[in-house]
Amino acid sequence: MTKILTVDWDKPESWLLRTYGDYQVLPKALKMQPQQIVDEVVKSNLRGRGGAGFPTGMKWNFVRKETSFPKYLVVNADEGEPGTFKDREILLRSPHLFVEGLVIGCFALDCHLTYVYCRGEFREGPVKRLQGAVDEAYAKGYLGKKILGSAFDLDMHVVFGAGAYICGEETGLLESLEGRKGYPRLKPPFPANAGGGLFKQPTAVNNVETLANIPVIVEKGGEWFSNIGLVPKNGGTRLFAVSGHVKKPGVYEAPMGISFRRLLDEHCGGMREGSVLKAIIPGGSSSAIMTAAEADWASDFDTLKAKKTMAGSGGVVYLDQSVNMAQALANVMRFYAHESCGQCTPCREGTAWLSRLLDKIVAGEGEKQDVDNVHQIARQMEMKTICALADGAAMPAKSYIEKFRADFDGLVRG
Amino acid sequence: MIPLAARAATVPSPFNAEQQKRFDEGFQRAVAKYPPERRRAALLAALHLAQDELGWLSEPAMAYVGHLLDVPPVRVREVATFYTMYRLRPVGRHHIGVCNSVSCWAMGAEKILAHCAQTLGIQPGETTRDGHFSLEEVACLASCGTAPAVLVNNFRYVENVTSQTMDRLIEKLRGMPGQEMTPGPAARLPGHHHQAATTAADSGSTERK
Repeated sequence: MTKILTVDWDKPESWLLRTYGDYQVLPKALKMQPQQIVDEVVKSNLRGRGGAGFPTGMKWNFVRKETSFPKYLVVNADEGEPGTFKDREILLRSPHLFVEGLVIGCFALDCHLTYVYCRGEFREGPVKRLQGAVDEAYAKGYLGKKILGSAFDLDMHVVFGAGAYICGEETGLLESLEGRKGYPRLKPPFPANAGGGLFKQPTAVNNVETLANIPVIVEKGGEWFSNIGLVPKNGGTRLFAVSGHVKKPGVYEAPMGISFRRLLDEHCGGMREGSVLKAIIPGGSSSAIMTAAEADWASDFDTLKAKKTMAGSGGVVYLDQSVNMAQALANVMRFYAHESCGQCTPCREGTAWLSRLLDKIVAGEGEKQDVDNVHQIARQMEMKTICALADGAAMPAKSYIEKFRADFDGLVRG
Repeated sequence: MIPLAARAATVPSPFNAEQQKRFDEGFQRAVAKYPPERRRAALLAALHLAQDELGWLSEPAMAYVGHLLDVPPVRVREVATFYTMYRLRPVGRHHIGVCNSVSCWAMGAEKILAHCAQTLGIQPGETTRDGHFSLEEVACLASCGTAPAVLVNNFRYVENVTSQTMDRLIEKLRGMPGQEMTPGPAARLPGHHHQAATTAADSGSTERK
């Protein structure tokens, strides 16, 4: 099976340059026309691995079309979606792959200053590994002035947040990077356009895993990468961060579009002893829940969108029969109520209201009407806010009830 | 622009000489990451640095950082209250954050939280009377494959925890001095819900917990 992101993971000290080896693709990339690189990325059908699945090449073309300089590439390493832990593994285990991809990306976008925004909790672990890789890259001339003798200059800085899920939203991240609270910005202008990005300049915001795919796309071509995906328009492999009641939780690299059944059986060793699959969170806690009967669904962005859920961040949680889905939803909603930034009323009030209702239901004090109300309130939160946090709270609320109503009815009176 | 030293002189520093040296080094590095006209962007980093030295963000610390970066006090407070890693009052010298987001929850995080609460004799959000420990329920740590996960003192991950491993960890931390807390308003003690010491702005942030 093709491995792109995890090839070095089993090697000792995989995070050091001497394990990764000299950057092999960067010299080739620096001899290409920047637009050629972007064209390959378009052909690769690489989709953003942070959660939205937006075509990376298209995003880069938006930035390239802008005439305002400087332009920025900002990396979203604010991994915080419940169930997701793959970027942390990349930073810990193969930071050089990511840095090489980032340097190539900056070259393609004519960007000379790049920031990696990591969540604050990563400061002593993943950030130190990444900073070690950055220092090695500077020493080798992969970063800094006149990279590898070319005319291309690039400075890279690692910065970190201070604990806020909302800063994983790209415009909340930019606000935070500029030194403010992470209130997402009203769009348009989008970050890729002048007026919308970092310091109001055109900015591509890309996820860590997305960029780690760039070297192989430049090396082997977009078509090669695209063909790895099992589903059209979904190129490459992806890192599935699997948790829950499986035998072997962990981060697994598999072709984009692998079914949840195969991911479970072929990679995770199946459910653990005594566990029977009951539900699947397919892409972080914001995605709509799946039942065990839906485990054969493909895991790509388009299939899951058509099924009214989402591939999201690749954080897959397999839950067994011991889980009451009303209790699970109450847990998920406490998270969103806590992490709502409070800027938009439907989200601030809606998540808190849902959380109160669900706590009441799981305490055994709810009525049938409360369950209906949860569903209705969730519907009214959708598409009404500046960012997608409210939608990310509404999706689980609606789907848990629609697919596991009995778990709720079993807890309420009447 | 007024030279750094001249500005700093007008607002007293909350640091002793040794702390000042470390803070200054970190501060220069943080500011150097941004274009000169964008130095305010270093606010989050500067608050981290101040908290590293003092254990929490006191009013004088926020005033000092704001002054260095030419950020108005209201903006500093806005940031300090928005992000959960900043402490607006002293916490325990060892801070234990138990993740209770969905993967950890499914793997028994509530039991871990209850066990810690019982062992330490405090509820989540509180600090032991001797000021040695605080306990908090925290949001997803991106450590779901090794659930349940615990974050010790903001940055150290402890994974695949059980009640037994938490007992051993707590025992070990008991013998370690931990982060010294600059004196300030009382930490949240058990059964002591900080009415007297809480400022209006503080209560906004505690509500978010």
